[in-house]
Amino acid sequence: MPDMKVRIGDLELKNPLMTASGTCGYGDELKGYFDTSILGAVVSKSLTLEPKVGNEPPRVAEVACGMLNSIGLANIGVRRFMDEKIPILDELGALIIANIAAKRVEDYVSLAEMLAASKSVRGLELNLSCPNVKEGGIEFGTDVKTLSNIVKLVRKVFKKTLIVKLTPNVTRIEEFASAAEAEGADGVTVANTYVGMAIDIYTMSPKIHTVTGGLSGPAVKPITMAKVFQVSKSVSIPVIASGGIFTWQDVVEYIIAGATAVEIGTLLFTKPDAPGRLLKGIEEYMADRKIERLSSLIGGIRFDRDNVPHMNHHK
Amino acid sequence: MAGKSFLETAVILDTRLAAERTYISRLRSPQIVPIVEAGQFVMVSFQDTLDPLLPRAFSVCDATGDTLSILYVAVGRGTRKISGLFPGEKLILNGPLGTGFPRMERGKNIWVAVGGSGAAIVPILSRSAGKAGSELRFFYGARSKSQLVPFEISAYTAHATDDGTAGFHGNIVDLMKLELKGAEPDMVFGCGPTPMLVSMQKEFGNRIPTYLSVETPMACGMGFCQGCPVKRSGDADYYLACKDGPVFRSTEIEFEVKP
Repeated sequence: MPDMKVRIGDLELKNPLMTASGTCGYGDELKGYFDTSILGAVVSKSLTLEPKVGNEPPRVAEVACGMLNSIGLANIGVRRFMDEKIPILDELGALIIANIAAKRVEDYVSLAEMLAASKSVRGLELNLSCPNVKEGGIEFGTDVKTLSNIVKLVRKVFKKTLIVKLTPNVTRIEEFASAAEAEGADGVTVANTYVGMAIDIYTMSPKIHTVTGGLSGPAVKPITMAKVFQVSKSVSIPVIASGGIFTWQDVVEYIIAGATAVEIGTLLFTKPDAPGRLLKGIEEYMADRKIERLSSLIGGIRFDRDNVPHMNHHK
Repeated sequence: MAGKSFLETAVILDTRLAAERTYISRLRSPQIVPIVEAGQFVMVSFQDTLDPLLPRAFSVCDATGDTLSILYVAVGRGTRKISGLFPGEKLILNGPLGTGFPRMERGKNIWVAVGGSGAAIVPILSRSAGKAGSELRFFYGARSKSQLVPFEISAYTAHATDDGTAGFHGNIVDLMKLELKGAEPDMVFGCGPTPMLVSMQKEFGNRIPTYLSVETPMACGMGFCQGCPVKRSGDADYYLACKDGPVFRSTEIEFEVKP
């Protein structure tokens, strides 16, 4: 059995495979499809202080090799998650990372304080990047100063692994990653969904109630790959890649590009039993190539810096 | 709530054109067939392709032996692709999913309105009514005669078409209203286009126990994505069509109809 362990802050994951927030309910829904304990970590739906009803339908639409969503952070609220869902996840043997979203800076701090008190919550992922609700953090996530402030305040009350989920809907994502690192984040997730849109040409209405939604799926993978590469060259904390992973090769590709871990999302909607197959594929790749530790692949891309125009420009 | 479900690689046995652009595909699905109930659905996806990407939800049309059938109108990329697959080719089924129609009881009279691809439930409902000993009457609506699937069932079936080419000239709910003058069913079921369901809720929902199978965009079918909300009546909150439904008592839900 090859060593797939990876580390984010003080947290060691048995392998780099995590679920992306909002793609497996609260995590317990996965249990009918595969053994949840095989995952490196389960990331919860975005939790808010109070329960949220979410956006009106239609909330989802398929596009070429991808989908648009605008769920609107529908969730049962942090208290019910802690009372009802954490015990189930514990029983399933899942390593829990809680994802939080809020409309006020102080609410991020309150959420982090509450979740810090739970022994089962091993890490926190700050959603500063939901494109579909005003209070989903996007306004915080698109302003470097605000992002810095939130990370700084949350860092004070949350000592375990702290990850910041970044939006790709900015000009230079590296600046946001660097700001998160400077305020003590242990890792950054690159990236949330891309603002996208689709129209029904017969009804002439948008296919998503909020008109625009977040684009995910294989369609976004090459774009996110470039961002993971760029960010990993700009920060020294782990980068968690999230964007269109559908095969084990996608996971390996992200790791070679610079990711320490990965999150799978849309894949779970289409093939809910995929995680076992992804891990098996990575294992076979490692065995074939006599790679003993997966972590030795991180950022292993062979490239010539002089060939990267935007890197030359900045350095 | 949803019970046990399976992910099953199912071989296509055959696909036949049952009415205009309307196909019935039969698949070998030994795990899902024994436990599926009328009104439950399966998510159908393709092996090894990223486009179409998401699985498609289909009400189970029939389930017998180890054979499961789905009925669909081939209008989208997914359904057109399924209709073109050959016997022996495979699809991935995830199911049975969701909450179906309530248990039928001996001696009860149930009127069932179906329209368009909602007619999928006719065979499986007939089969389970036969087992339960309930009496079904079907009211089957379509735009035109060419779109009506000729089901081989013994239950009374009345047709309505928008163009009058078969049965009652008009919509199916108006036909039910006429026939209701001389009878009082114990329950009413509906599966079809949303305007039909809205009209059934309005006409029958307050006086007869009425159960409606709703249709809404859906990504995963399992509650992972929370993408298929259905408004709870008298409440700001939502049900999920995939887990709490797709069949709801009509008094439990509100339709959000655009003006």
